[in-house]
Amino acid sequence: MTAAIAVRDVWFAYDREPVLRGASFEIEPGSFTALIGPNGAGKSTLLRILLGLLAPERGQVEVFGARPGDRSHPIGYVSQRVRLPATFPISVFEVALMGRYGRLGLLHRPGAPDRARTTAALEQVGMGEHARRRFGDLSGGQQQRVLIARALAGEPRLLLLDEPTAGLDPAARAGFYALLCDLQHDQGLTVLCASHDLEVVSEHVDRLVLLDRDVRASGAPREVLASAALAQAYTFPAPHHHGEASR
Amino acid sequence: MTDFLTYGFAQRALITGTLLGLTCAVLAFFVVLRRMAFIGVGISHAALGGVALGVVLGISPVLAATVFSVAVAWLIGWMGTRGQISADTTIGVFFPTAMALGVALISLSPTYRQDLMGYLFGSILAVRPADVWILAGLAAVSLGILAAFFKEFVYLGVDEEAARAAGVPTQALSYLLLTVLAVTVVASMKLVGSVLVSAFLVIPAATGQAVAGSVRGMLAVAIGSALASVVGGLWLSWLWNLPSGASIVLLSAALFFVAVAAGRLRGR
Repeated sequence: MTAAIAVRDVWFAYDREPVLRGASFEIEPGSFTALIGPNGAGKSTLLRILLGLLAPERGQVEVFGARPGDRSHPIGYVSQRVRLPATFPISVFEVALMGRYGRLGLLHRPGAPDRARTTAALEQVGMGEHARRRFGDLSGGQQQRVLIARALAGEPRLLLLDEPTAGLDPAARAGFYALLCDLQHDQGLTVLCASHDLEVVSEHVDRLVLLDRDVRASGAPREVLASAALAQAYTFPAPHHHGEASR
Repeated sequence: MTDFLTYGFAQRALITGTLLGLTCAVLAFFVVLRRMAFIGVGISHAALGGVALGVVLGISPVLAATVFSVAVAWLIGWMGTRGQISADTTIGVFFPTAMALGVALISLSPTYRQDLMGYLFGSILAVRPADVWILAGLAAVSLGILAAFFKEFVYLGVDEEAARAAGVPTQALSYLLLTVLAVTVVASMKLVGSVLVSAFLVIPAATGQAVAGSVRGMLAVAIGSALASVVGGLWLSWLWNLPSGASIVLLSAALFFVAVAAGRLRGR
């Protein structure tokens, strides 16, 4: 069976500063995987490579057997947060409808089928009744649900999420991951989510991939959480005392 | 008002003003959405440098201002995407530099000062019949581009990275929007002047944002308030012998404050 995502020996650097150093892993179709790792581990960079927004310097990346950016396999992407002016009067439906634009292409207007698909996507994430509300009036958790609806409106097989729960309270985080879990099971979606919520996300995913420039551990959540690699990746530097340093 | 419209110069001013007011209002929608207000200020002042360059080089000031403004807009956009210097810092560098260039060059051509005042504060009542056609053409092209790529420009403003991931050519469209902005700024200099054009590229959309509950509503209010400002401002300018640009922008600002008050009364 073709892997949903295959990353083989991928290297990437920003201005000669290495971000990924030989990362390799595979993700099965229909699975829910969390990509974890400390800040600067290369999680967002890897997602951008999978989306085709960045090209790796070395290595090979395939999404359903095709190169990233191939439009035959649309990817649903959920960014951390949209940065709209707070009172900008764009509705929830108008934001979700943008998920159809990639399929429509330039110069084509959304029609009735696009609107119907968008309505269905909003209902899937429990935001159907909020379609006419102003996007900026929603809570952070509700806004993230709308962004998932926008991704679903594009009818993807793969959902990529870049730390989508940043700034959400614990209850909203748990609800958010439960929703992703439902989408995975009900629609057979493959889900890859970059996350800092080790404990919460581990309760919902099939697999964890620990990234710290390269893949340090990969497997069932219980195994990765108990691994020495996790402790090493998240080790904080020893406290630095000015008085001691001067001695 | 009817007396005013019997004059040829008034008819030309009204036609030109309506076309540019419409273009500025639609463009202002994207300026507010993408937080590009300061870019409008930067380009409008760069345009003045372009006018001065045209005067000194002996070529059309409008053509020189267009080329110069588009070049500055692209440079601001390019430096913004490089990420090494923020967009507002880049504009902060170009804004006074282009103004200083304009002042320095104009000082080499002292006889031109009278016309420069027209570019600074607007002289729409002095629009010639040939200008009407040129400005109508520019407004039509700008509006055509904004209408054709409307959904993509909105997507860019809401979430540029997601738009890129969906296959929208975000970089090309960003430069296209900057180009339309620069060309509209130059075209609007005749209407409200370079000093006030940046205000006209924000206030109509801000008025729409204050009262509307949807994108369509915001656009409709922005267009309506821009057209009311142009028509009412020109009339007041004729009635009280005021500079046309100042009248238009003051009326536009008055409508904005009315909209903010109305929005507060409605609990928005």
